[in-house]
Amino acid sequence: MAEKIKITINDKEVEAVKDSTLLQAVRAAGEKVPTLCHHKDLAPDGNCRLCICEIEEAQGHKRIVTSCNYPVREPIKVWTHSEKVVKHRKLLAEMYLSRWPSARPVKAVAKTCGVTETRFRGDHTDDKEEACILCGRCVRACEEFVIEDIVNFAGRSMHRQVTMPFGEVDPHCIGCSSCAYVCPTGAIKIVDDLNHPADAVKIRNAGMKINAEMARLDPLQNRMRQVGTGNIVDVMDQYDILPVMNYKFGSHPEAKKIYCDVFRNNYWTQNQCDGCWLGCSMACAKATEPFELKTGPYKGQKVIVDGPEYETIAGAANMGCFDPEFAIEYNFYCDTYGIDTISFSTCTAFVMEAFEAGQITTEHTGGLELKFGHTAAALELLHQMAKGEGFGVDVGQGIRWLKKKWVAEYGADERFLQDIGMEVKGLEVSEYVTKESLAQQGGYSMAVKGPQHDESWLIFMDMVNNQIPTFEDKAEALYYFPLWRTWFGLFGLCKIIWNDVVPADNYREKDANKVPGHVRSYFRYVEGMLGIDDMSEEKMLEQSARVYNLQRIICRLLGYGHRKDDYPPYRMMGPVTAEEYESRQDRYDKQLKELVKVDPTAKSSAEKVKILRQYREDQYEQMMDVVYKRKGWTRGGIPTLARLKELGIDLPELVEIVRPYQE
Amino acid sequence: MITVNSKELPWLPGMTVADVLKAMNYSYALIAVSVNDQFIARDDYDTFVVEDEADVKALHICHGG
Ligand code: SF4
Ligand code: SF4
Ligand code: SF4
Ligand code: FES
Repeated sequence: MAEKIKITINDKEVEAVKDSTLLQAVRAAGEKVPTLCHHKDLAPDGNCRLCICEIEEAQGHKRIVTSCNYPVREPIKVWTHSEKVVKHRKLLAEMYLSRWPSARPVKAVAKTCGVTETRFRGDHTDDKEEACILCGRCVRACEEFVIEDIVNFAGRSMHRQVTMPFGEVDPHCIGCSSCAYVCPTGAIKIVDDLNHPADAVKIRNAGMKINAEMARLDPLQNRMRQVGTGNIVDVMDQYDILPVMNYKFGSHPEAKKIYCDVFRNNYWTQNQCDGCWLGCSMACAKATEPFELKTGPYKGQKVIVDGPEYETIAGAANMGCFDPEFAIEYNFYCDTYGIDTISFSTCTAFVMEAFEAGQITTEHTGGLELKFGHTAAALELLHQMAKGEGFGVDVGQGIRWLKKKWVAEYGADERFLQDIGMEVKGLEVSEYVTKESLAQQGGYSMAVKGPQHDESWLIFMDMVNNQIPTFEDKAEALYYFPLWRTWFGLFGLCKIIWNDVVPADNYREKDANKVPGHVRSYFRYVEGMLGIDDMSEEKMLEQSARVYNLQRIICRLLGYGHRKDDYPPYRMMGPVTAEEYESRQDRYDKQLKELVKVDPTAKSSAEKVKILRQYREDQYEQMMDVVYKRKGWTRGGIPTLARLKELGIDLPELVEIVRPYQE
Repeated sequence: MITVNSKELPWLPGMTVADVLKAMNYSYALIAVSVNDQFIARDDYDTFVVEDEADVKALHICHGG
């Protein structure tokens, strides 16, 4: 909440935001004050003293303060150009000019103080145009943007200089170029001879916006630097979309035990274990170290664990295991064995539900009590998978395979397994509950690579914001976002900095969900890399659509690219069981009344499950038609010849594949 | 009665933007709020009073994923 305070500046009364700096207040009032060490994206430092003003505090006490770091807290009187101030500033300007007579910012600032000549002469004059004027901006940028201490001051008085430790190139410098960006004189230069971008400065200027946002906004937004994607666990639990017990529920009272700050306060010890992009100031990757393993071949050993991140922690909830150390342990062994944590947790959650429902028993699991929350049994299953022993051999084949075997050999209920087996196209679903977001059901199920959210994540837009109510709206989102996200892949760029921190003024943009400011930065980056200057949304969509449609054709070649392959299991769409229905009865009853126009009173839960299901499945069918059309596909889900032609990819070998399926 | 993201919410006299977010259980960090198409700065959530019949949008920008 912004409290306002009345202050007078040069005898004019104005309002200032409490705790803003005096410099901000003065500038907001339209007055000019010279600065040298100040930079809008950095914390104020007060070292050049050029921004001084004279103030009178409530007690009538007058003094000179540096305005860039003086917080406005009481109704003061301010003079930006009192006699004293002007005299001081002139003196300072002369001193700076004597030491750095050719540095452009010094000359400019001296001029605004009315100084062009200096009376002082010293032995330490550095008259290079690109002299370091010791403003310290680079030191602060390194500290604030990337939490590093690579460049710093060394030496005293006249020998003071900015350098890296021991005057050598520090291998810990991530090359983010933040220091060069804020340097007012050009004393620090980017020498990029690693991959020869066409225009390194263009890239730097685009990238630097993110660095500043990470320093200023991230702590107030998603805290990616502190907790990485782990922050999503808390959000999903609070919005009822955290997968709990094979996606039956979207939240759980015990989920607090695996909230991100539990990991932050007790387990995570370092950033950047992934060794992601050099120079990434977000550094969202987290690692746990040391962690003593409790099971498996490395039991008792202390290890470094790369994670856990959101999907892995949410996967633990999906298995009903609200134990942070379990999440870390299964994370470690999945990584060590080369098993994907999402596939493991989703598959094991399915096995657990089937076990609890009596579809399989200890007879089939080799004695493993695979109930929700049984961490020891889950870990034993994981070790068996890796060793190729026991029940682990079967589970390692994935949900699709298990369903077939259990129906054929154990007489399990085919329809039930189909409903609760969270896979599409044979791939296990990633860790979000999509029951209340029709668009995301499509986002998962129509994704060419299978149900991962790499193509689109529309749950908030759809379910919380109600921004895409019609089938056409949903289709537009399912057209744009998969193409935009495919584009990251084309250029090998990380997606996280697109929308895990957003510009302060993003909310003013028309399509705020697209985070247009960041889309523009990505375009500038690619332009700077390639030496082009015409990246646009249209061009991006076209580049992506070529690859995306090619992927869909490959999908067809692999036997998955038809309409029949794009259906979700019902658990993804709504409550399968009466237990599930009853757990959110108010919500579903309301929908029956308002959307389906059916009176839920006096109906059994089983009946209501059935009616809701008919409605939701019908909605999905209708949406599919509109989405396929928007993507330029036939009703059967195959790219049309016209679309291939339009994209310039109507190559004979591709046409041959899709031609038989044109309607 | 006011609408929040097209859903109805009972109106209470003196209700602020912060109260509306709380009533909706909107705890997310990346929310942009508008009341009758006027954007409300985060700093004003505690003081901006929402009138009856207002159309409130609390836009959640997705992340993660
Ligand atoms: S390039 Fe980045 S990490 Fe290296 S010294 Fe400059 S600010 Fe620090
Ligand atoms: S190198 Fe540049 S930014 Fe760093 S202290 Fe010197 S002039 Fe300032
Ligand atoms: S934001 Fe992207 S590049 Fe940076 S650490 Fe995270 S995943 Fe790696
Ligand atoms: S700008 Fe305030 S001390 Fe340098």
